[in-house]
Amino acid sequence: MHANPVTIHFAGTHDGFAQGFARLRGELDAERLDAASRYSAELIFEEVIANIIRHGAPDGRELDVRVTLEARADCIVLTFDDDGVQFDPRGHPDPVPANSLDQAKVGGLGLMLVRRAASALDYRRTAEGRNRLTVTVQRPREAAAPSRAPCKT
Amino acid sequence: MEMQLGDAGEGVLSVSLTGRLDTQGVDRIETKLTAHLVPIAARAIVDLSQLSFLGSGGIRMFITIARALNRRGGKLVLYGAPPIVAQVLDMTSVNDIVPVRADAETAAAAARG
Repeated sequence: MHANPVTIHFAGTHDGFAQGFARLRGELDAERLDAASRYSAELIFEEVIANIIRHGAPDGRELDVRVTLEARADCIVLTFDDDGVQFDPRGHPDPVPANSLDQAKVGGLGLMLVRRAASALDYRRTAEGRNRLTVTVQRPREAAAPSRAPCKT
Repeated sequence: MEMQLGDAGEGVLSVSLTGRLDTQGVDRIETKLTAHLVPIAARAIVDLSQLSFLGSGGIRMFITIARALNRRGGKLVLYGAPPIVAQVLDMTSVNDIVPVRADAETAAAAARG
């Protein structure tokens, strides 16, 4: 039996990211998600954390990141909590597809993938001054999980 | 992330990627792959069939290398993406600007053309 929800806590460094990701994948293994939901969860984690590390501390200080994974009957919920600069991903539109390689912009692809992979996205800045991003990923409803709450979306 | 570099014949180089092309995967191979292809303006095909994960970092890497090659008269063609990886390529519309093919033969033909 694994804990549900479970919180993964790591430093916003490359090593911390690697450790946090390994831990997430262990938890996803235990949950035995279908391949598509599993990929979405990993993709969201990869893109959100990469952005936090890249942009969250312009002054170079080490960030503190907590990711909570909750498995419900028909979705999984990932909550990202970090102490980096304020950033609301909802305010950043998707990049327009380019017509040519020369025009191609490479910024914003990560958030675009997060939006496509998620069924819901919610953000708030907490009273403690942390970013809290909640991302929901749909999954096929589990046949044998009567104790789990369904998602509200 | 493991990378193998080879020769697809008729002036086309081959690249095979195995494993996860996430942030760490890109860090591991980007410099070496760029150095291998760009200075010689290579025409190259990249086998994605052994990728278990592709994120925006990998896509950014492909776009950057493809653009550098294009400007020098070279070309980059991706092929063999597993369905879930193909979906990610599709979601970012990268296949509008970097050719994506089903297999090595059609990829090599596109790289030569």
